[in-house]
Amino acid sequence: MKKLVVLSVTMAFLFIGLAAVFAGSARDTISIVGSSTVYPFATVVAERFGKGGQYKTPKIESTGSGGGFKLFCAGVGVEHPDITNASRRMKDTEFETCAKNGVTEIVEVKVGYDGIVVANAKSAPLLKLTRKALFLALAKEVPDPKGGEKVIPNPYKTWKSIDASLPDVKIEVLGPPPTSGTRDAFVELVMEEGANSYDWIKALAKSDVKKHKAITNGIREDGAYVEAGENDNLIVQKLEANKNAFGIFGFSFLDQNADKIKGSLIEGMEPTFENIASGKYPVSRPLFFYVKKAHAGVIPGIKEYVAEFTSDKTWGPDGYLSEKGLIPMPDAERKAFGEAAKNMTVLKSLK
Amino acid sequence: MPTVLLILILLGMSSAAFYLGHRRAVELSGRSSKKIALHSRPVYYGALTALWCGIPALLIFVFWLAFEGNIITRMVLSDLPARYRDLPDDRTNLLVNNIKNQVEGNIVSIKEDPDILQAAQHYRNLRSVSRTALGITVLSLAIGGILLVWRRIKPSFRARNHVETVVRCILIVCSIIAILTTIGIVLSVLYESIRFFKEVPLSDFLFGLEWSPQTAIRKDQVGSSGAFGAIPVLLGTALISAIAMVVAVPVGLMSAIYLSEYAGSRFRAAVKPLIEILAGIPTVVYGFFAALTVAPFIRNAGGYLGLDVSSESALAAGLVMGIMIIPFVSSLSDDFINAVPQSLRDGAYSLGATRSETIKQVILPAALPGIVGGVLLAVSRAIGETMIVVMAAGLAANMTVNPFKAVTTVTVQIVTLLVGDQEFDSPKTLAAFALGLLLFLVTLVLNIIALRVVQKYREQYE
Amino acid sequence: MSKSDPVDNNGPRRAIDIVREGLEKRYRAERRFRRNGFLAITISLFSLFVLFASMIINGYSAFWQTYIRLDIFFDAELLHQEALASADYDGLVKNALQTVFPDAQNRQERRDLFKLVSSGAAFELRKRVLDDPAIIDQRKSVWVLADDDVDMLIKGHQGRNLPESERRINNRQLQWLDFLKAENRIEKRLNWTFLSHGDSREPEMAGVWGATMGSFLTLIITLILSFPIGVAAAVYLEEFAPKNRWTDLIEININNLAAVPSIVFGLLGLAVFLNFFGLPRSAPIVGGFVLALMTLPVIIIASRSALKSVPPSIREAALGVGASKMQMVFHHVLPLALPGMLTGTIIGMARALGETAPLLMIGMVAFIVDIPKGFTDPATVLPVQIYLWADSPERAFVERTSAAVIILLAFLIIMNAAAVILRKRFERRW
Repeated sequence: MKKLVVLSVTMAFLFIGLAAVFAGSARDTISIVGSSTVYPFATVVAERFGKGGQYKTPKIESTGSGGGFKLFCAGVGVEHPDITNASRRMKDTEFETCAKNGVTEIVEVKVGYDGIVVANAKSAPLLKLTRKALFLALAKEVPDPKGGEKVIPNPYKTWKSIDASLPDVKIEVLGPPPTSGTRDAFVELVMEEGANSYDWIKALAKSDVKKHKAITNGIREDGAYVEAGENDNLIVQKLEANKNAFGIFGFSFLDQNADKIKGSLIEGMEPTFENIASGKYPVSRPLFFYVKKAHAGVIPGIKEYVAEFTSDKTWGPDGYLSEKGLIPMPDAERKAFGEAAKNMTVLKSLK
Repeated sequence: MPTVLLILILLGMSSAAFYLGHRRAVELSGRSSKKIALHSRPVYYGALTALWCGIPALLIFVFWLAFEGNIITRMVLSDLPARYRDLPDDRTNLLVNNIKNQVEGNIVSIKEDPDILQAAQHYRNLRSVSRTALGITVLSLAIGGILLVWRRIKPSFRARNHVETVVRCILIVCSIIAILTTIGIVLSVLYESIRFFKEVPLSDFLFGLEWSPQTAIRKDQVGSSGAFGAIPVLLGTALISAIAMVVAVPVGLMSAIYLSEYAGSRFRAAVKPLIEILAGIPTVVYGFFAALTVAPFIRNAGGYLGLDVSSESALAAGLVMGIMIIPFVSSLSDDFINAVPQSLRDGAYSLGATRSETIKQVILPAALPGIVGGVLLAVSRAIGETMIVVMAAGLAANMTVNPFKAVTTVTVQIVTLLVGDQEFDSPKTLAAFALGLLLFLVTLVLNIIALRVVQKYREQYE
Repeated sequence: MSKSDPVDNNGPRRAIDIVREGLEKRYRAERRFRRNGFLAITISLFSLFVLFASMIINGYSAFWQTYIRLDIFFDAELLHQEALASADYDGLVKNALQTVFPDAQNRQERRDLFKLVSSGAAFELRKRVLDDPAIIDQRKSVWVLADDDVDMLIKGHQGRNLPESERRINNRQLQWLDFLKAENRIEKRLNWTFLSHGDSREPEMAGVWGATMGSFLTLIITLILSFPIGVAAAVYLEEFAPKNRWTDLIEININNLAAVPSIVFGLLGLAVFLNFFGLPRSAPIVGGFVLALMTLPVIIIASRSALKSVPPSIREAALGVGASKMQMVFHHVLPLALPGMLTGTIIGMARALGETAPLLMIGMVAFIVDIPKGFTDPATVLPVQIYLWADSPERAFVERTSAAVIILLAFLIIMNAAAVILRKRFERRW
């Protein structure tokens, strides 16, 4: 028995020893997490950056903007990521969480614009949608169709029941989960706007904020809206296979797969590069990435990666990212953010 | 002194120790005029010397290296200029990373900071001091070990027994590792699951009918309602496994019967390995095959026949999973069918039964417990299968038994919940562990039942 | 009575009559049954065949790659001596293309023209210049990688006959390509990139070498950990452990472990190795540990059955000539059981090579381009690479995923064949 105890103790030490030996090595690869919308752009930049030969190629994971912020704001240190991509701006609550965990020096870099499209297979009929129609199709609770100022659980099962001009097809939409920035942006730009087209709901924004939020932000859970994970490529494939389904994702995915899918018109506007850049297409949002300044001197290559991302040949109108579907910022804005990135100007507040 | 070199020297010394002990023992046995018989063969004396030389040294070596990193880091940090010493923990962490990168010769961010360079140099110095000390300690331990044993070598010294005790200890240690693994798995999954059940009651989980786990991840966000009822997910698993069994059991069983009863030995020798190949194909390949070829085929066929088949139907995933399980059912059944003695068959033939009648009425009933056990094991394999369903099945937790619709399974949900949000506090992530525990328990129960069935009902042939 | 006599309803029926009546039916049933059995085998083999055929048909073309020959003028004005590494090599490619097709004028046309060549071409040129700066200011004929859409078209996967809106190559690009082909500037060569590069965003530059190295490193750790520990544990449990309830429980536990779904091991890896021990994410070390835990029960079970199959007569004989128990085990039983143990290990390794689910949990599902060199570098493994590529909608990735599957299957067939040969040559039947 005594022998057994001695043995077990020795073994425990062996184990811990082995683990400690390996846990102590240093990291010299940049670790990036975040948005699945920015992922295609970030990976291209990372690959080119790595090919430069001086630094290791950054490792990029697609976790969704929200998931990325959670990991990013967990603290400063080698085991936490250095950069997070986001398809929406950081929220106040996230900024506070970051500050609480010691992540106080954050550099915000806007990289461009992206539209959100509601796409379906090329061979399926083209839909002409309005934001109000999308709200009625996807919300958890909608205004009672009979009238009055109350909401009921969403009764609409087909597109036609919302609007007679739409086809008589079951509502089936594949969209992002709550970890995704695209979801937050979609909720803000489409659901809220669509809901506010009802005057009484719009008035609620001032009188009862919580109720307003519950109505505008709630997305139905009865199976018509399927949360398809952080893998937008997979959604594209599923759309190809399922002619009745629609997908919600960033414009870049539509652009890169234009031979398989097409985007629905929203309020008469087709989702094209020009329409989004000029602002005519109403659903567009900026893309960002955030850097921990504290890591910039520690993990090799962060400054250089940021420089590569913010150079004109990358994010400019003739840059290689615009060929991937990124809509570049206007010149003045680009210059401002480029300067901020180069100087690692810290984000003071989100106002 | 680099670690690899030290290890090699240690090995060399152990070999030298072996030689020394061996020679000493041989010497001693032949020194006096008549040969004294050694207690053990000379090899054992050598082995004992080598073991006492090598093992304590090795243990100290690992021990030292484990803590060397931390201690040196602490010493280096305490010698840094004052402004570094007051940094909060996480900054210190980053600083340490910088220093270590410099030391290891990795690419470094700040090339010119003299403080870092100095600290790195300090680190290197301390490390070489430590390594030298380690070298001396280890070598002296090794030599001490050799001397200790060498002096005690006498013809009556029971070397073999000591060696065997040491070897036995090593064997026990290895077994303990294997056992610890079992316990470790159960404990880790259990721990996280208990944290989950504190937030979501067990009855809700087991009997709830709604599965929408994608809760909001921030205070100001509105996500799903966070319903964690596992029944739709379990139903999905059951549906796909059922389809897989419907494919695998008849095909597997009939293949086994044909191969063992009807086929000639050359046919058998050629076909059996081919069927075994099906078992060796990685599941990700099956998943890719299902998504690439099978699902579109079924959807098109369904469209042709006028049925509304989803592009990720349970049928596609179940079909491919069934193909994967065929070899399991086939080889297990084959073993049990072959175990039935020839005398039973001969008896049936002599009464005028045809082959199929013999099989249906004599052999299958005799081999039935084994076959049932095999089928249960195959079911547990189907339930735990991940990649095929991740790639070919859907994500919507539908409560349906229609094989043409998309359903989701336990394993798909585990993957979806954990690839992404990694915080171990939210019910969302912990739900994955609860599902994992459920999976583990169900497969455990199935395996135990399979074992019992085979043991209890197995025919005892004489 | 002859056979054709009708049955005599008045007399008792004879047994032979009853038998004869049912005989035809029984023979039919027998034939049906036999047919069913054969059908079952056919179904199994057919599925195997369809799987392999599907992979090969989709993937064989990945081993060739389209190259375009361009006359590149290494313009000294673009290549300044002081900044050779960061010069505008894209410009060189664009100039060369423009020279062949001066009719591409407006922005959209020029972009279409430049899209014919892969973005990796610039890096290829850069490598040449850095290796041999003497070629600056010279004109050379260089074969550069074509873009993956062009590649798909040349290989015939992208139908030329589809309407333009459903194609990725528009009509004008098609004209240009035809022109290049007429000038013998387009050629298909063996795709070494696929075998020597790591992952990439551009399908034409994506390769499996990074994943293969990752698999290799992970499997080494798995082997080093699981083989010695597994064999030692099996020897102890089989030969030395007392036969009581505890050891029975241990045997049941280990048997169950072998049947636990692999994803549960991934959960264990996540909770213990990453969270508790703090090992680096996505490293072969953690992957190796997790896979070792998974392979351990398989090796233990195989080793135990190998040990069990050595007949008692060998053991008794050894003990009879005076060997101690340990000598008996290590000198007599173990060598005889070793082929079985090795076979079990090889099969366990083959299973570990094909595992994906547990590695997804420990973070190997990231975009990793560099080839891993050590055990703590971020890496991915071959099955996970297949899983990642399977999601990409580009047609070129479908081809490459199938090719990667072919390579994985080839490795597995070699390993399993080695196990079978080992078993045939060395195993003794008692």
